[in-house]
Amino acid sequence: MSEPPAEDGRLDQLVDQIVQLAAGDLSVRLEASPARDSVDAVITGFNLLADELDMMYRTLEQRVAERTAELDQAKRELERLALYDPLTGLANRSLLADRMSQAVARAERGAGPPSVLLLDLDEFKTINDGLGHSVGDLLLVEIARRLTAVVRDTDTVARLGGDEFAILLPDIDEDQALRIAERALTELQKPFAVGERAVWPAASIGICFGTRGQAADLLLRDADTAMYAAKAGGKGTAQVFRPEMHHAARARLQIASELGSAIEQNQLRLLYQPIVDLRSGAPVGAEALIRWQHPTRGLLLPAEFIGVAEGSGHMVDIGHWVLRTAIAELEQWPDRPARESFKVHVNLLPVEVRWPGLAELVADALRAHGVPAAQLVLEISETGLMTGDIGDLEALLALRRLGSGIAIDDFGTGYSSISYLRRLPIDSVKVDQSLIADITTDPTQVRFVGAILQLIEAAGLAAVVEGIESVEQMQRLAELGCRYGQGFLFGRPVPWSTIMSSLLGPTRPTVS
Amino acid sequence: MVVDQPEPNRYESLTIDDEGIIRLVWPTGVVITGPSARAAFEQVNRLSADRRRPMLVDMATTKSVAREARAVFGERSAASRIALLGRSPVDRVIANFTLGVSQVPCPTRFFTDRDKALEFLRVGRQESAE
Repeated sequence: MSEPPAEDGRLDQLVDQIVQLAAGDLSVRLEASPARDSVDAVITGFNLLADELDMMYRTLEQRVAERTAELDQAKRELERLALYDPLTGLANRSLLADRMSQAVARAERGAGPPSVLLLDLDEFKTINDGLGHSVGDLLLVEIARRLTAVVRDTDTVARLGGDEFAILLPDIDEDQALRIAERALTELQKPFAVGERAVWPAASIGICFGTRGQAADLLLRDADTAMYAAKAGGKGTAQVFRPEMHHAARARLQIASELGSAIEQNQLRLLYQPIVDLRSGAPVGAEALIRWQHPTRGLLLPAEFIGVAEGSGHMVDIGHWVLRTAIAELEQWPDRPARESFKVHVNLLPVEVRWPGLAELVADALRAHGVPAAQLVLEISETGLMTGDIGDLEALLALRRLGSGIAIDDFGTGYSSISYLRRLPIDSVKVDQSLIADITTDPTQVRFVGAILQLIEAAGLAAVVEGIESVEQMQRLAELGCRYGQGFLFGRPVPWSTIMSSLLGPTRPTVS
Repeated sequence: MVVDQPEPNRYESLTIDDEGIIRLVWPTGVVITGPSARAAFEQVNRLSADRRRPMLVDMATTKSVAREARAVFGERSAASRIALLGRSPVDRVIANFTLGVSQVPCPTRFFTDRDKALEFLRVGRQESAE
């Protein structure tokens, strides 16, 4: 092959092609001449290299585009995980906090201040424990749907965790916020179908109307305080936050922290209210009732601390203390009457019944104090039993096997049927005092209570009517065939020592 | 024997000679595209009838080989050994780009001398016969 002549323009064209390639134009190509000599070979080589380079760039760009799309997708997914509740798809606490800050900032620039609703389901734990977590989850999803349906497009519905929801209402006046709270209450009071059953997921709502300049986290805190006030004041209601509510919230916190040391510091007490045979007036037993001898606030009734104990995880410890103490006090017994003629009733909460070592704890305590199991009756409330699961039944059967009695407490306040009661391992029923309040004035109520007592008897169970305060009530009940009663008429709750001395010389009202 | 009628922009002829060597001839100034390379390869496979044979590819005067066509040459075919026959430095560049870009599935070399090319193919035929 000969060297190309100096005047050959192809080399200049090649230089131009290289310059254009260097400038990033990968589409430039040169035509080889018919000579197909070495210069054409270089031209062909450059064309092919440009092809390769072009292809590599395109491939690279395509890969970058694909990877970018994947990264975007992953980022969106992470964002969703970080900002939304996976179960309900609602905003989570982080996103709510972000939106609250935005709403507060907008209020500072002239928009109306935001309001916050905080919702907590009243019976979620009962539903979740009784019907299973999958039903609980479905319920939460349904609640999310209902709440989303009552708010404006600009509002944020968030799930804060468990059964707690929040609604942020930016730029809103108080009337509008109240209307949304009412609609939420109404929606949540409608039944929720679970197979053939229906549950009512009522909620308590705390409302905090924001003021301009109020910090976002305080809005949520105050709504939370109002929500607790709503719960305390009656479930299924809404409460608007008032500053004095903080005192109540602080008091609850105080009680929760002090309860932790109440057992150690020997501040809990048991008092016993007698249960009597209405025909003879003789005491046949007593119900152990807890009190808290608070160092500064005096003697506290259960209503003042049991709710806090349940919420703060102290309930099982307190329940165990009650059982051990009641059994220990039973160790002291006079020569007469016979032990088996007098039974001590101890209340159990569902949380205690579910505690796995309950039967062993009772058996150990009975053995340690030489108390026969038959002298102990464990009471569980009708509502607690209705919302329990099979585990509860097993626990009750284990207690029965020991030889202790099981009573259903507060009968008439729940929705259980006698036929359901017959299937339970119980031997007595304590009829709630609300059923006998009008028994001396309302003939219909007399017939109603009479029918209930007959049904209880027909089911082979013993009835104890609670809350007997007058001789008339006692006489009416005795006429209806009621055998046992309890109430102020027969005695207020007293220490065990008083019960012991009264056993030696009873002077009690009897049916004349 | 001639078994295929050439079409514009496709191979010119595809035959098997008396020695059993496939002879593929590309027309003057052809631009070998992906589809034309594919058509040639499919015909090679049909012609060989389940046997692997050496192949002489006359590619002198080929104008260019598209990248997609080079990818086709990287696929396994009935060719057991390929000699690319050209004349000019341009042919050499194109042939070597084809060899370099694709991982060729059988021994493949570029020649400017037809006899040397046939000699390379015959060696291969002996090898495969042994």
